[in-house]
Parts: sequence; structure tokens; C-alpha cells
Amino acid sequence: MINLVVALGEQLLQRLALMGQALLMLVQSLRVLPGKHGLSRLTQQLYVVGVQSLIIMLVSALFIGMVLGLQGYTLLSAYGSEQAVGQMVALTLVRELSPVVAALLFAGRAGSALTAEIGLMKATEQLASLEMFGVDPLHRIVAPRFLAGLICLPILVAIFSLVGIYGGHIVAVDWLGVYSGSYWGNMQQAVDFGEDVINGMIKALVFAFVVSWIALYQGYSCVPTSQGISTATTRTVVYSSLAILGFDFILTALMFGGA
Amino acid sequence: MAVNGIIEIHNLSFFRGNRAIFKDIDVSIAAGKITAIMGPSGTGKTTLLQLIGGQLQPHCGAVQLFGQNIAQLNRKQLNQLRGRMGVLFQSGALFTDLTVFENVAFPLREHTQLNDQQLHDRVLLKLEAVGLRGARDLRPSHLSGGMARRVALARAVALEPEIILYDEPFAGQDPIAMAVLQRLIKGLNDEMQLTSVLVSHDIAEACAIADRVILLGEGRVLAHDTPEALQTSTDPAVRQFMHGEADGVIPFHFPAPPLAAELLCSNASAADKQGGLL
Repeated sequence: MINLVVALGEQLLQRLALMGQALLMLVQSLRVLPGKHGLSRLTQQLYVVGVQSLIIMLVSALFIGMVLGLQGYTLLSAYGSEQAVGQMVALTLVRELSPVVAALLFAGRAGSALTAEIGLMKATEQLASLEMFGVDPLHRIVAPRFLAGLICLPILVAIFSLVGIYGGHIVAVDWLGVYSGSYWGNMQQAVDFGEDVINGMIKALVFAFVVSWIALYQGYSCVPTSQGISTATTRTVVYSSLAILGFDFILTALMFGGA
Repeated sequence: MAVNGIIEIHNLSFFRGNRAIFKDIDVSIAAGKITAIMGPSGTGKTTLLQLIGGQLQPHCGAVQLFGQNIAQLNRKQLNQLRGRMGVLFQSGALFTDLTVFENVAFPLREHTQLNDQQLHDRVLLKLEAVGLRGARDLRPSHLSGGMARRVALARAVALEPEIILYDEPFAGQDPIAMAVLQRLIKGLNDEMQLTSVLVSHDIAEACAIADRVILLGEGRVLAHDTPEALQTSTDPAVRQFMHGEADGVIPFHFPAPPLAAELLCSNASAADKQGGLL
């Protein structure tokens, strides 16, 4: 029994030490202001992290919106209130599904790529070589990628909501014959900018922070072998997904729990 | 041992976990010479190089470069010091997202204020020295292993350093590439009056160009002498390594309990398990 407690305590201390290291990495990488080429490095990462994740976001958003439209219509028409399908689709997307699904996809698409890229840089001694040229790899490699993640995910979430709402429109209005005016009108009435849209964006920002941080730390601290990189990449996706879902519950409770 | 070496290591100890990689070693590396650090795999040759480069901090003792203890430098001073030192990594460590030209230009862009024309000329001269001026627009992924190492060498000397550290420059190279690298290392050392430190276990290649050899083993410096003296050394550990004998003072077997005892023991425990199952 004592042994169990000791082992548990040891594990806990190790985890705490790791989190401390991860925090230190983040603080060190963001401590210095970007240099003269900072903006071009950021732009490049915005393209890799954001623009290249666009296709998967667009396709997923369209399908999720269509499914919501279909499910919403079937459910609501039983009560004769299928005109409210627009408001249901929009609220579901803006409050919950867009931030969560986009963040999960982002962890799989961009997060894993970041981990693998930095892990490989470490394995091929590129990080060590930067250091020997007097360039801080945290500042040069980690910081622009972190900022790019932080900027891109909220934008992707907004696009996700937009496309999802159009997906719902395609099914509910164009296919099942809900009146277009009530689709948009009910949505306008029900969705509150501060309550729903801003809160959804706050979620997106929190998820962006967590996913980018996990991905970069896993890459930066991985064992520089092929197995180490594969473990780190897996961890990025698993930890990010769990963190997204966990934080989503906490944030939802804080934002909408009282109402 | 000379006290005025360009690289001075005093009473250095370094541990990985509980395992001592180095126990209280002293090394002095003379300026203007090629010094080869040799020893069996896993004796910490690369670790020693990382300690010299300041990528690792010793747990005890001090590493002095140009008379300065690198543990006591702040980040800026350390970076300045690193500007006077080139490193050739084992894998070459070229930046895969940059062309050959940009790779060689990288340290110049970071450390100097050269204008584009000066930068261009300097990079081409360095590439010419390693025979790869024509490959300047290629990406590192299009280079052979030997070529990548030559580009890395051009990059390492771009700032005209005073010390250059080579990590296993000959590992995995074909005979021609090896000869080319040997010639380059020797040539650069003599022309630029560099101090070269090279880590290797390719005895013939390293001894052919080295002025001094430091032989590491079991966390100690086994020998520090000229290659000729080591070839004729009577020390059993030195002899074993220099002549490539499979078994000797450095044992063939990883430490283990006697084979007979272990076989009997595992039979017994297997029987136990079977007994438990039944």
C-alpha cells in the first residue's frame, strides 16, 4: 500500500516536472521579441499551419452542417417546429461543435506535423546546429509556430461555423424545404454575439494555445530516434484530444452553466 | 601537459543518470594542431565534443575555451564565443528547408553585417574550397552523404573560426569521400591555422591526419600522444583499440552473471512457473 502511494507520488512529481519544463520552454521562446525576419517566418508558418489545414476543415464543416440540418429537421419536425432548424444548427456549431471539432482536426493535421517536424529537426541535429551558430532554436523555431497556431485556429473555427451553417442550409432549406427566411431569421434572433460567438471564439483560443503548446513541447522534448518521434506524434494527438474535450467541459460549465 | 592549450578541460566529471561518462578527466588541446579524440563507441566522445561546445554543462570541473570558462559566460558571451568556433555534426545537420547556398550563408547572415555582394562572394569561395560551387542551388535532400558533409564543412568554416569540431566526419563514407574529407580537414587546418578537434573511431583515417590522439575509455583518458606512439604502445587497452582486437581488456561480453549459473537459474524459474500453472 505504502509502495503504491510512493509510486503515485513519484509519478505525480514527474508529471509536474514535465509541465514545468513545458512552461519554461514556452516562456523562453516568447521572451524575446521577434527579430527583423520575424514577420516572414510567421507568415510562412501561418501558411503551413493554417492555409494547409483549410481543406480538411472545409470538407468536415460542410458534412457536419449537413448532418446537423438533417438530424435537426427530423427531430424538430416531430414537434412541428422544423422552422427552428437554423437556430439549432447555428447554436450547436458556434457554441460547441466548431471549436471542438476544428481543434481536434487541427491537432491531427497541424499538431502532429509540428511535432514530427521539430522532432526530426532534433534528430538530424538541426536544432543543435542552430544553437552552435548562436541562434536560440526556441526563439527561431518554436515561437513562430506557436504564434501561428494561436492565430490560425480561431480563424479556422470561424470558417468552420460559416461553412457548417451553409451545410445545414443545403439540407434543411434546399432539400427538405424549410422556408429560407425562417432559417436565417430564427438564427439571427437566437444567436447572441457576446454570449455565443465570443464565447465560442474564447474556446477556440484556449484550444489553440493548448494544442500548439502540446505539439511543440512533444516535438522539442522527444527522444531523437524514429521510435521517439512516433511516440511523440501519437502523444500530441492523444493529449491534445483529451485536453480539448476536458477544457471544453470546463469552459462550457463556466460560460453556459449558470444560465 | 601544456597549460596554454586553446581548449583546457580540468577535473571534468559528467554523468548521465547514475552512470559516470567521465570521471575527473584533464585534457589540454594545443592550438593549430589536429587532435583526434578516439575510443570505443559509447565512451562519450561526442559528449566530450558537446561539453566543449557548451551544449552540455559538466557536473564537476571546468571547460575553458580561449582561456574563458564557458560555464561562467552569459548567453551573449557564449554566442560570441561560438562565433569563433565551427562544428561539423555527424549528420551534417544542414537546414533542410534552405538551399546549399543559404545554408552556407546562414552563419554569415546571423553574425556579420556583410552586404549581399560580399555575402555572395564569401559563400562561393567557401563552396569552391569544398568543390561544390556548382551545387549551390540544390536542396540538402538532393545531396549524397559525402556532399552533404562537405557543404556542412563549408558552412562550419564560413565565419573563419579559430576552432573547428568534427563529430565522426568519416562515419559511413565511401573511400573516395573519406579521402576528400581527409584532404579538406588537413588542408583547412593548415591554411587557416585552425585548431581542429575530431572525434572518430576510424583509426587509419584519423591517425593519418592527426597530430595528437586522445584515447578515451571507461570514463578516463587512456592515452594522449602522437599517433605513432600509440601504434607502438604496450598498454593493453590502447593496443586492443589501435589494432582492433575483439576481446581483451575491453571485454567482448556486456557485464553479466556467469552463463552456467544463469541457464540453471532460468531452468529452475521456468520449472517454477510450470509448477504454478499446474
